[in-house]
Amino acid sequence: MVKPASTTTATGKDLGAVRAAQSESPGLFGVAGLSSVIRALLPFVVAILAWWAIWAVLDPPEIILVSPASVFGSFIDSIAEGALPTFIARSLARLGIGTLIAIGLGVPMGWLLGLDEDVAQAAEPIMRFFNAVSGIAWLPAMIIWFGFTETTIQAVIVYTMLFPVAFNAMIGVRTIPKRYRDACRTMGAGTLRIIRDVYMPGSFPSVMTGLRLGIGFGWRALIAGEFVVGTTAGGGLGFFIFDARTQGVIGKVMAGMIVLGVLWLLMDRLILRPIEETINVKWGAVSA
Amino acid sequence: MTTISAASPPIGRTVKKWLLPAVPFAILVALWGLAVLLFDPPVGVLPSPALVFEAPFNSDPYLANVGASVQRLILGFLVAASTGVVVGVAAGLSKPIAEFLGPLTTFMNALSGIAWIPLAVAWFGPGTGMVVFIVWNAAFFLVFGNTMLGVRLVPDVLQNGLLTLGASRMDVIRQVIVPGAMPYIMSGLRSGLGFGWRAVIAAELVGASLGLGAWIFEQQEFSRMDNIMAGALTIGVIGMVMDRWLLAPLERRTIERWGMVGSAS
Amino acid sequence: MTVPTGGAAQAAPPTISVEGLSHSFTDPQTRKTVHALDDVNLEILPGDFVTVVGPSGCGKTTLLNILAGFIRPSAGKAFVNGRAIERPGADRGVVFQELAILPWRTVYRNIAHGLEIQGVAKPEIDERVNRMTSLVGLEGFEGHYPHQLSGGMRQRVAVARTWVSDPEIILMDEPFAAVDAMTRLTLQEELNDLTVRTGKTVFFITHSVEEAVFLGDRVMALSARPGRIKEEVHVPVPRAERSWERMSHDEALQDTVEHVLSLVRGEAVEPTGQDG
Ligand SMILES: Nc1ncnc2c1ncn2[C@@H]1O[C@H](COP(=O)(O)OP(=O)(O)OP(=O)(O)O)[C@@H](O)[C@H]1O
Ligand SMILES: [Mg+2]
Repeated sequence: MVKPASTTTATGKDLGAVRAAQSESPGLFGVAGLSSVIRALLPFVVAILAWWAIWAVLDPPEIILVSPASVFGSFIDSIAEGALPTFIARSLARLGIGTLIAIGLGVPMGWLLGLDEDVAQAAEPIMRFFNAVSGIAWLPAMIIWFGFTETTIQAVIVYTMLFPVAFNAMIGVRTIPKRYRDACRTMGAGTLRIIRDVYMPGSFPSVMTGLRLGIGFGWRALIAGEFVVGTTAGGGLGFFIFDARTQGVIGKVMAGMIVLGVLWLLMDRLILRPIEETINVKWGAVSA
Repeated sequence: MTTISAASPPIGRTVKKWLLPAVPFAILVALWGLAVLLFDPPVGVLPSPALVFEAPFNSDPYLANVGASVQRLILGFLVAASTGVVVGVAAGLSKPIAEFLGPLTTFMNALSGIAWIPLAVAWFGPGTGMVVFIVWNAAFFLVFGNTMLGVRLVPDVLQNGLLTLGASRMDVIRQVIVPGAMPYIMSGLRSGLGFGWRAVIAAELVGASLGLGAWIFEQQEFSRMDNIMAGALTIGVIGMVMDRWLLAPLERRTIERWGMVGSAS
Repeated sequence: MTVPTGGAAQAAPPTISVEGLSHSFTDPQTRKTVHALDDVNLEILPGDFVTVVGPSGCGKTTLLNILAGFIRPSAGKAFVNGRAIERPGADRGVVFQELAILPWRTVYRNIAHGLEIQGVAKPEIDERVNRMTSLVGLEGFEGHYPHQLSGGMRQRVAVARTWVSDPEIILMDEPFAAVDAMTRLTLQEELNDLTVRTGKTVFFITHSVEEAVFLGDRVMALSARPGRIKEEVHVPVPRAERSWERMSHDEALQDTVEHVLSLVRGEAVEPTGQDG
């Protein structure tokens, strides 16, 4: 009978589809003791050995591929120089600021748009469109507006993260079963009260999905931004990798990439996933 | 009491369905036009909407650049889709292999696409080969990871049911496993294409002389804001058209046809 | 328009009265009109427990939604204490057909929710919620979230949440439909106790004729869609004296069940054709 609800669930998925692949895999830093740690690390050990073997057999030139040992050496060097830690901090700070702004702006925006069926319907395509334009595509325009500066990078990240977050907050509000709202109305609740007691907590899982997606996109936009603007905007991990390539030091390029991957895993395991799991354990699978 | 003059609602509805979403776009363009009229900013900073909409027709390389980007996307994506699905199904069939590859996939996913651009430039040099590799890279791990997950989530009962009927392993794969994993495969393909398209633009931005990304970056040096904005909007239109009119319907169809999706969400 | 009659001429004015109520839905997609309710007239006196039975899709929930103030009827009027119903209000508590307690609130906070909304002071909320939880047998589960409870317990939370605010009228839509048969018997007896003790006015929808007879002072049998009141059946034994034990022996009660069953059975559930 209530067909629209199921359609919105389906559309809500499309900006949130990546989750599946990213959030599977048995806990890398799980609690279940040594054996599970070994089991989780084993694939990486094997992958490194395979890489080593390929390197040893092919004996490629240094500007194509280097051995794990030499990547590790580059990693240690870059840490010692102090460049890598500074750049990591800088990139994380940019991502953090982007996240805060995207949440502060995007979540209320999504909530407001989701309150009214017609408004939400009107807003959906334009939000999809701006999400599709992607921050990366705005990079040249941003450069013209703000120059090769920190502002440009930050603007690109905020733009990139804003739409997935706002969109999913909106979808989250729209997919909350109407009966929760009705039930609160019979208890005398006004609109503000319903927003606070129903829409905010009820859309939380969807907001988390949007955030996850936003960070995924924002992270990539950040790297692209740092490739292009990093030289004059104080570096960053993307700049580190890009610059190492320009210098022809593949060991540093790969070290930078691995740092990127590890940072993502840490962020996922230490921040995003614990929040999601707490919510799931407390509320059960809320989103219907 | 019950009037039967029910001719107007559906027409009203269709109109509403198309008109409503047009309103924000119209408002935005109007505001933009108004801002240009009122503040008269330099064309290099904010051209009028008319200039931007005309830009594609006034600029010869526009179509060639659009063509180059789309071609690279299609090429890289097709390779990623086929390799991702085939390898994903194969890996998903075995629980130990899937468990082994799970953490690696998560890791690779985390840095897939854009982060590989410098390395890819070192390997392939600037140009189409590099961009195609990046698209493949951006999409492959998503497709692969989702396919493997989907295959793993197909209940064993279904497979056993068919096996007891005397089906071969191949039958089971074709008739149970692939259809069962289809919703996941579709959602992997869909997000793969989204990430792939962004990766094309980023890769062209720094490592190509043709393509939309390269074009808008180059136009920035000449402060041709009309071309830049036309390019950016084109990127959005292409991305949205592919997603909304190609993959979303496909995904919806598979979900409707094969039932449940998102038990993992 | 209709002002409550000032004098005490009439004995007890009805708490709920419904006059010539009809309702149709128009499906925006197929533009088909579904005639859900037809010329329903009804009076519920203070302290009455009225149960409603009828085939699926005959408009029971629609009637309840009108009384709750969620939908405006296409024709006819519905009044609470003489005032036309326009919107939901705290004087009418609703227990919904589909469970509507909030998954993100604990048992305690779900039950307390209505009181919080009304701005009742903390100590009083505490006291009333505690009394309620023990009344419905949920002590010890105050800190649990709904998904940690059994179906029967969730239904208790839903009932308790509505009851605790002490609304004058309680509207219940098949509250026990999704509960297993054993638990249902217990819940029905508990509900009977609760209503006898609190003297609430209750409007109760159900599919089960036995439940309708067991709980109600009066049973309204609705016809198939468009729903109209086919017959209003008085249940002979006072509610305070009812138990399932007695239900199985008492001839008068048994006869009532038979009678209502025959009314409902006459209304074979016609295929609605649009249930997809
Ligand atoms: N919002 C709506 N829009 C259109 N048709 C509706 C709507 N709500 C109910 N209907 C239709 O009105 C009729 C009565 O619905 P209602 O929910 O009142 O039935 P019910 O007696 O409560 O059924 P059940 O016992 O299955 O709960 C049904 O045919 C239903 O399809
Ligand atoms: Mg109903």
